[in-house]
Amino acid sequence: MIAFYILAFVLVASAVFVITARKPVYSVVGLLVHFAALAIVYFTLAAEFLAVIQIIVYSGAILMLFLFVIALLSSGVAPFSAGPNRLPNIGVPALAGVVVILGFLIYGVAHVPPARVHVFAASASSSMTGPVGAADVFGSVADFGKALFTTDLLPFEITAFILMVAVVGVILLAGESAPYVQSRRRARIVEREMREAILRAGEE
Amino acid sequence: MPHEALLPVAITNYISLSLVIFAIGVAGVVLRRNPLIMLMSIELTWNAANLLFLAFARAWMNNAGHIFAFLVITVAAAEAAIGLAIVVVVFRAREHVDVDEVALLKG
Amino acid sequence: MGVPGQYPILFVVWLLPLAGAVLCWAFGPRLKRSAGVLGSAAVGASFIAALVAWGLGTQASGSQTGAQQPLFSWLQGFDFGLLLDPLSLIWVFIIVGVGFLIHVYSVGYMWNDAAIARFFAYMNFFVFAMLTLVLSDNFAGLLIGWGLVGLASYFLIGFWFFKPSAVAAARKAFVMNVVGDVGIMFAIFIMIAKAGSVRFADVFANPHALDPWLFWTCVFLFIGAVAKSAQLPLHSWLPDAMEGPTPVSALIHAATMVTAGVYLVARCAPLWTASHDAQTLVGSVGCLTALAGALLGVAQWDIKRILAYSTMSQIGYMIMGVGVGSFSAGVAHFFTHAFFKACLFLGAGIVIHELADEQDIRRMGGMRKRAPVAFWAMGAAVLAIIGFPGFSGYFSKDQVIYGALEHGYVWMWAVALLTAAITAYYMLRLFIVTFWGDYRGEMNPAELGIEGTSSPSAEPDAHHDRAPAWIMAVPVAILGFFAFAAGYVMIGPASPWARFFERSFPRQMLPPATPSEGVTTILAVLMLLVGAAVALRRYATREALANAPARLKRESETLPAILVRLYYWDDLIDVLFVQPSQKLGRFFGQWVDPHFVDGVVREIVLTNRFLGTLVRSFQTGLLRAYALIVVFGAACFAVYYAVEGVLR
Repeated sequence: MIAFYILAFVLVASAVFVITARKPVYSVVGLLVHFAALAIVYFTLAAEFLAVIQIIVYSGAILMLFLFVIALLSSGVAPFSAGPNRLPNIGVPALAGVVVILGFLIYGVAHVPPARVHVFAASASSSMTGPVGAADVFGSVADFGKALFTTDLLPFEITAFILMVAVVGVILLAGESAPYVQSRRRARIVEREMREAILRAGEE
Repeated sequence: MPHEALLPVAITNYISLSLVIFAIGVAGVVLRRNPLIMLMSIELTWNAANLLFLAFARAWMNNAGHIFAFLVITVAAAEAAIGLAIVVVVFRAREHVDVDEVALLKG
Repeated sequence: MGVPGQYPILFVVWLLPLAGAVLCWAFGPRLKRSAGVLGSAAVGASFIAALVAWGLGTQASGSQTGAQQPLFSWLQGFDFGLLLDPLSLIWVFIIVGVGFLIHVYSVGYMWNDAAIARFFAYMNFFVFAMLTLVLSDNFAGLLIGWGLVGLASYFLIGFWFFKPSAVAAARKAFVMNVVGDVGIMFAIFIMIAKAGSVRFADVFANPHALDPWLFWTCVFLFIGAVAKSAQLPLHSWLPDAMEGPTPVSALIHAATMVTAGVYLVARCAPLWTASHDAQTLVGSVGCLTALAGALLGVAQWDIKRILAYSTMSQIGYMIMGVGVGSFSAGVAHFFTHAFFKACLFLGAGIVIHELADEQDIRRMGGMRKRAPVAFWAMGAAVLAIIGFPGFSGYFSKDQVIYGALEHGYVWMWAVALLTAAITAYYMLRLFIVTFWGDYRGEMNPAELGIEGTSSPSAEPDAHHDRAPAWIMAVPVAILGFFAFAAGYVMIGPASPWARFFERSFPRQMLPPATPSEGVTTILAVLMLLVGAAVALRRYATREALANAPARLKRESETLPAILVRLYYWDDLIDVLFVQPSQKLGRFFGQWVDPHFVDGVVREIVLTNRFLGTLVRSFQTGLLRAYALIVVFGAACFAVYYAVEGVLR
């Protein structure tokens, strides 16, 4: 139980660090810490598979992606921000509002009578607890895999599809010498040459 | 709550934690001008939601939460990729990375 | 009132002039001068049709006289139809008969005018409108004709629209006539309210159904008559209407349109006989107008204006006649007046044409050698108008004057006799100064007492191509003949005239008045001779003729200002009505319009602009601002559900 509170503190602190760090690289490091703490929390929630996925995919892949982009963008000598802050100054009232709303929500959540909660059908063949790594225990890889490839196959396929879309999108967006870009460039050159030819013909 | 005893602490703690992290993420989106930081703040919000899913999955002994959290991670990854691609493209032409300067929607 | 039935001939009489108008208007540019032939033919054919319809107009069956052709029913109480009875028959004959002669004359008068086709279109339209007025069997149709006639008058007075004075005169005539239209409308309102119908037959069947507003109905109808017939106080449009071409003055402002008031009063005889006060009012107005017009005629130098005032005066006689109850006498005077007044105007037109549009009689003189037909015809007409024994005016005027006495209005009788003297004076003045002596046109205008240069009126084409003389001479001669002879049908109580009207205006059994009719006649002739003597002495003696220029100059300088300024009537109307209306118009145009009307529009624009700016302020293009708005919305949702959950 005490673990929860320590982890909660770490999570919140690192989150605040992420949003307030001056350099993006610092934010990335803060986010890394945040994800690690979150993985530990998942472990305490008997979601081992997802804890590992969190580390591998989130901190391993996504954060690396962020680092690459940071590196790409700061390859020039340009500063990271220019121009004044254009958002209207609503700092203090907004903060107050946020605190109030959050407080209200938390209070509301804490006082929901238990009988009002609707419980969905529990998962079938899993026992409640067991050693980490054991099969057919709630949250284990086997249990998760069984559900993923049988009951919830559609979401799995959809995730595959989403990833493919993402890949295609990234290539289209950020890829260099896209055929469209090249053809536009060529068209512009041709247009310019035609215009000059007409002007020359007019002068003669 | 049938299996709340399985949780280390009461479910309301997880809910509150999730809310706070979510709020911090949202604050990050609104307050920072660097698009990279904004994207990272959005990741925070995704994770807050994940936390909630997994907490309730444990409390109700229901695998669906895990599946959905898996889905969320995947989508978050895809979204981060595309978001970063957009940032790269938009700011390739400019000398800076400031979201406030990209105000072409101004009417 | 008439025998109901289907009478196609009535449509021929009524609509032929309309067809003529439409054809002249539509094919004007191609017809040019032939439009005159077309127009005259249309009216002439209508006249022949009217002759054919004579029998219908006088047919009698039971208590009905004449022919009534129903047209259509519009609303409750508004049944339109045509009525041809002795009264309307007389008017129809004058309109299309004298009208035909005037149309023929106009072919000659307007020979060189570029817009001759438009002229004949308007003239035919006028004839149609006047026929509508007299052939209607109900007040609504009469009012329609009334208005159309006013419109035709506007067109024709302002025919030479490039003359600002003509345009102003047309507008003045129209506006003053509208006052009369409103009067008739009010009368119609009362009739609908009280009698439930506007048909003559229904209203006249029981005049007292209009009580307690019978007197006011008569007054309102009379207001219309006053405006249309140029009686006091709505008379000032008539002299200005002389801006129109002379045939127009002859047809509209002498023979027909201005007599519409007389027709109205005569037609509504049952109403007047039921209201003695109304009769007194009408008679008085007519009598005073006769005197006022005659006095003004004394002080005029424009030949057409003198004739205009004489028209006003003679119509005063007619109004007086029909007002006091001598309907037959009043209509008789209308009949004879149509001939001699038209003759006078057309003859004056010949003189004007001959002298290249000179209208001031001081610059005339000796015209009897240069325009002999005009001289003889106008001579006959002048003798008729002054009531010289043997000529038509003598018979009709006498009846009118005596009629006033018969019905008990001694003062009117006296004033009418006095006016007869003045009439003789100024008409002879006109005749002598124009036709006798030597021609003064080549003298310096200042020597004749004319102020400023008298430039001829701007008739556009002058003297390229003269019309054959007979076109203008023959109608004038015919009218002159009738000016002499028309009275012979009226002699005696059993005359054709009396018998013609016996069913429309039954002879009233009135006690013979004192002085008797014979004495009245002698007095009238005496007054005539007095006036004539004065005129002859002033203008026709050998010495006067020799010194004509000097005498005319002296007279010009010594005329009383009140007469020259036309009793200051126009100035009075200007101060009372024209200037306040102009001020009101200016107030609305310069203050109300920019501030209120434009102000409303401006406010709408400003409001729109403000709202647009307000909404636009949200479109900052700032990503973070949009994100903030989304967050705010989400927070609202969350709070809402939380509240809902907590409350449950």
